[in-house]
Amino acid sequence: MASSHYGIIAAFDEPGPLMKAAEQVRDAGYRHWDVITPFPVHGMDGAMGLKRSKVPRITFIGGAIGLATGMALAAYMNWIDYPLIVGGKPFFSPIYAFPVAYELTILLAAFGTIGGMFIFNRLPMLYHPVLKHDHIHRASDDRFYLVIEAADPLYEPAKTRALLDKIGGREIADLED
Amino acid sequence: MTTKTITSPSIPVAAPGVFRGSTALGIGIAGIAVWLLGALLNPAAAASAWLISICFWTALSLGMIFFIMLHHMFDAGWSTIVRRICEHWLAVFPWLAVLFVPLLVLSILEPGVVWKWMAVDKLIPGTEIAVGDDLLYQKKSPYLNVPFFLVRLVLYFGAWVAFAHFLRKFSFAQDNDGNPAHTLANRKLSAAGLFVVGFTATFASFDWIMSLEYHWFSTIFGVWFFSSAMRAAFAALAIICLLLVRSGHLEGIFSTKHLHDLASLMFAFTVFWAYISFSQYFLIWNANIPEVTFWYNVREEGFWWPISLFLIFGHFLLPFLFLLFYTNKIRASRMIFISVWILLVQLLDMVYNILPTRKLADGSVHPFTITLWDGAAIVGIGAICVWAFARSLETARLIPIRDPRINESLRHHE
Repeated sequence: MASSHYGIIAAFDEPGPLMKAAEQVRDAGYRHWDVITPFPVHGMDGAMGLKRSKVPRITFIGGAIGLATGMALAAYMNWIDYPLIVGGKPFFSPIYAFPVAYELTILLAAFGTIGGMFIFNRLPMLYHPVLKHDHIHRASDDRFYLVIEAADPLYEPAKTRALLDKIGGREIADLED
Repeated sequence: MTTKTITSPSIPVAAPGVFRGSTALGIGIAGIAVWLLGALLNPAAAASAWLISICFWTALSLGMIFFIMLHHMFDAGWSTIVRRICEHWLAVFPWLAVLFVPLLVLSILEPGVVWKWMAVDKLIPGTEIAVGDDLLYQKKSPYLNVPFFLVRLVLYFGAWVAFAHFLRKFSFAQDNDGNPAHTLANRKLSAAGLFVVGFTATFASFDWIMSLEYHWFSTIFGVWFFSSAMRAAFAALAIICLLLVRSGHLEGIFSTKHLHDLASLMFAFTVFWAYISFSQYFLIWNANIPEVTFWYNVREEGFWWPISLFLIFGHFLLPFLFLLFYTNKIRASRMIFISVWILLVQLLDMVYNILPTRKLADGSVHPFTITLWDGAAIVGIGAICVWAFARSLETARLIPIRDPRINESLRHHE
């Protein structure tokens, strides 16, 4: 099977230099690239120029659906399907329906958050080209990596490799898909 | 680490001129003077105005003390610089205690003018029964009597003044010696304080607000008061911090990250307030027992009905939707808007809880009114609070420069 070129990977020893390197890659205008670190590095979002996550929108949609479902559930059951007076209350009132609607709001908002997180992170992802890199296991230990993908419009093998070298990347290697 | 001093010249030592103490004192005295005129002309209106005001400002200040204690209990890092602003605000407690006295004076001059149960020989409005002959009062009289009320009042303010004093003392002392033992002392103080202030604030809300209508009872009422306290405190805190950023004193110190966290707490307590207020309404609505439903019935009469609805949409829905958005939470001007909004509607919520209990002579519910005396009391007590806060700013630093967590707070990241 012919393997295509995925991108270039460079290693860093410390989070500080990686952060500076990320800022330079960001300022160079690259879009398709990532960093791989053993732990979350505070401030990396800004250094990479990442926008805020879109997950809250899915959360909101989930919550709104939950609220509507809860209200509709209570209204349908007690007002339309089997009208029944309980405790002298009206057939439908948003007041008694609220606990149900509220719980469903929370539940579906939580589902939306988890689902949205999976969608935007493209999970589950069982394979990734960087896994072919010989030393990638150190990314879960004591090494920091920066990967620029060939899919990037600015990507030119020689130029990108030179950039990674300039910003302090070591052990620069090609990655295959 | 703890003995290392941050010696950046940009860290303000004290006394920002943003909050002008003397001006505030002048406004405060003028407000109180106008209110005193009201107390002579219309004692009943002045009494409810003062009660609304003192409850509003005390709640706000209690929110500040709760926030400091929560900070210590969670060993929080990000809120270290914000905590100091709260500590400065705690200087108001002795003055709030003093400013409570007018209510007692009014109650002596005209018993029952503030709390009806204090005048046992007077008739319940709209009935032929004296308060003392009312079975519901008789059953509650072991708790609701003037001597015990005064004892509790002293306990409440005693506890608040004491906790405010020691939380400030240890924190300010740390500025000089950098001793982490002060942090530990405050943590222990907070562990006890959360219980003590939690209980005293709950019972204060029972005594001052719930007992206005002593026929009525709601066990969740203290939690409503707590949620109001937190909302008011966070709104005030956001305004104070943003003013200090605008004036340059906290510029580069109080960042959008801190603002975002404060806004998130405002959001959380917006939901909490709604949850508690709804729970109270829901339980009463569901049980449908006349003993307690009347409290809401009177608030569905006349202009109180639109106000009830406005509290749902204006005190919950609008802040809820507004604070959902990240961009609203990090823009200073938008946060000032929503903070001022929350404080104003908070005040309306206080009016909604207090004013309808002031029955007219025929027993009908007091209509919604805003008088000059309300304004004078709100501005008067508020200005005295700002004056006490401004005076405190002159005595200690604007941020706790030797707090063990100060670096973490300065470098706070989302």
